[in-house]
Amino acid sequence: MSETSTAPSALRRFLDGLYVASGVLSALCIVGVAATTLAQVVGRFAGVTIDSTESAGFFLAGSTFLGLAYTFRRGAQIRVSLLLDRIGPAKRRVLDIWSTGAFLMATAYLVYWTFDLVHFSWKYNEISSGIIAMPLWVPRSAMAMGTLLLMISVIDTFIVMLSARQDIHEE
Amino acid sequence: MDGSVVGLIIFSTILLLLASGIWVAPALIIGGGIALAMFSSVPVGSLMASTIWDASWHWPLTALPLFIWMGEILFRSSLSSDMFRGLSPWLSRLPGGLLHVNILGCGMMAAITGSSAVTAATIGRMSMRELDQRGYDPSLSIGTLAGSGTLGLLIPPSIMMIIYGVLAQQSISRLFIAGVLPGMLIIALFMIYVGIRALLNPKIAPVETTRLSFAQKMRMTGPLLPVIGLIFVVIGSIYGGYATPTEAATIGVLGAFVLSAASGSLTWRSCFEGLMSAVTMSCMITFILAPAFFLSIALGFVGVPAAIAAYVESLSLSPYMLIAILTVMYIVLGCFLEGASMMVLTAAVVIPLVTAAGFDLIWFGIFLIITIEMSQITPPVGMNLFVLQGLTGKDLGTVTRASMPFFGLMVLAIAIITVFPQFVLAPVSFITSR
Repeated sequence: MSETSTAPSALRRFLDGLYVASGVLSALCIVGVAATTLAQVVGRFAGVTIDSTESAGFFLAGSTFLGLAYTFRRGAQIRVSLLLDRIGPAKRRVLDIWSTGAFLMATAYLVYWTFDLVHFSWKYNEISSGIIAMPLWVPRSAMAMGTLLLMISVIDTFIVMLSARQDIHEE
Repeated sequence: MDGSVVGLIIFSTILLLLASGIWVAPALIIGGGIALAMFSSVPVGSLMASTIWDASWHWPLTALPLFIWMGEILFRSSLSSDMFRGLSPWLSRLPGGLLHVNILGCGMMAAITGSSAVTAATIGRMSMRELDQRGYDPSLSIGTLAGSGTLGLLIPPSIMMIIYGVLAQQSISRLFIAGVLPGMLIIALFMIYVGIRALLNPKIAPVETTRLSFAQKMRMTGPLLPVIGLIFVVIGSIYGGYATPTEAATIGVLGAFVLSAASGSLTWRSCFEGLMSAVTMSCMITFILAPAFFLSIALGFVGVPAAIAAYVESLSLSPYMLIAILTVMYIVLGCFLEGASMMVLTAAVVIPLVTAAGFDLIWFGIFLIITIEMSQITPPVGMNLFVLQGLTGKDLGTVTRASMPFFGLMVLAIAIITVFPQFVLAPVSFITSR
C-alpha cells in the first residue's frame, strides 16, 4: 500500500482495518463450510441426518462476497496485465484510471441491484427451499455487505490513484 | 439480428475490455449487461443480481475452497523436501535419473493440491537446486518441472475440474475419476521422453552411483507415507462412493492439519497464513465464476449459443476437425488468458456446441483441462513459466524454450485421448456401474 504522508490518517487506518476485517470474515466463512460439512459427516456416522447442502452453500457465498474487498486490495483479482506491463507510466495511468473507473461503475450497479434483491426477498419473505427454510434475505445480506465493501475499496483505490499519481496495485 | 453476430459483438467487447486492463469479473458483468440491454427486453439489473446470487451458493462449488485450503496447509509443511528425499532413491537409476523426481513428484503433488503453480513451486523449491548441483541439463530440469507442474489441473483433486463441473453441470466425482488415466498417460509420455533423451545423450543426466538397500530406501520414503495415505483416503472415499467431493475435502483439511502438526511445522502463524491464502485464491475464482453464470444466462436469453451451434453444424465438420479447431482456439486464447478465465468465458458457447456435436461432456472436460494445462506453459501469459522464472532467475525465453517439448507431448496426449476416448471414459463407466 502506498502512502504519501508518513503517519497514516485515521481514515486510512479505518479503511485498511475494514479490508482486513473483510478477509477475516471471509476466512471464517470457509471455516464455516468445513464445520457444517464435518457436522454432516459426523452426523451420518452417528445416525443423525444433518443436511449441510444449504448451510455450506450459504457460507461459500458469504466467503466469496465478504472477501472481495480484501482480495481486491491485495491485487488478487484476475485481470490481463499484458498490455499494462508493456506501456509507459503515463499511458498506464490512463488505462488504470479507465479500468478502475469501469470496475467502479460495474460494482455500483451490482451493489444497487443486490440491495434491491435483499429488499425484495425481505418484503416477500422468501424462504430457502431446503430443510433449514432460512429467510433468504439473511444470506443475501452477506452479498450486499460484501459488494458494498468492494465498492468502498474500489472508490478508495480510485481516489488515491487520481490524487497521489501513484499506482497502488503493484503485483 | 442473428445470434452469432450478437455473439461476435459481445465477445469482441469483452476481449477489448480485458485487453484494456479491466478485471475479468466486471468485464463479464458488462458483457452480459450489454447483451441483455441491447438485444432483449428483460430487466437487466434484477436478473444479474439473482443469477450471481444463485451461482454463488451452488453446492458442488463448496469443495473448491476446502481443496484449496488443504493444499495451502500441506504447502506450508515440510512436504517439499520429503518429496525429493522420498522419491529420489527409487528413481535415480532410471535413464534420466533425478529428472524423473520432477515428473513423479509433480504427479503426486498434483494429487494433493488442485493448482499447477503450487505443484511446480513445491517440487521445484527443493529439486531445482539439487539437480543443478549434480550437473543435470538445466533446460530439461526446467522443462520437466514446468510441464509436469501443469498436472495439478488434471490429477484429482483439481480446482479446474470443480470449475468445469459447475459450469457444464457434470458430476465432479466422475470428472475426478476420468482425470486419472490421462494424467498417468502424460506422466508416462514425459518419463519416456526424458529416458530417450538421456539414452541418446548421456551428458544431460549424470549417472547416480549411490546404491541403497531396500530398507534404506524405505527409511528415506518414510516421511512421505502419511501424505500418500491421506491422498488415498481423500480420493478413495470419492471413488468408492463413500463421500461427496466436499466431504472428502473436509476430511482432507483435517488430515492436513494432523499431518502438519505431527511433523512439527504447524504454528498459529502458518495456520493463519494458509487460511488467508486460501481465502484469496478461492475468492479470486468464485468471483469470476458467478459473473460467468450471468454472462451465460444473458447469452442464452439472446440466443447466442444456439445460433453458433447451428452455424457450426451447417459447416458439417467432422468431430476430429471440430476438436482440432477448438484445440487451436484454446491454445491461442491460452497465450493471453489464464486458465479459469478462459474456461468461464467460453463455457456458455462451447459447451452447447460440443453437446450438439455429440461429444461426451466428461470427455470434453478432460480435453479442455489438458488444453488449459498447455496454456500454463505458453508465453506471454503462462502461470508455470512465471513460477519457473521466479525459481531459476532465467529469462522467459529460456524457460519457454525448455518447456516446448513438453507442450508438444501434451498435444500428443490430446490426440491419443481423441482417438481413444476410452482412456477417459472407461474408468468412469467401470467405477460408476458397479
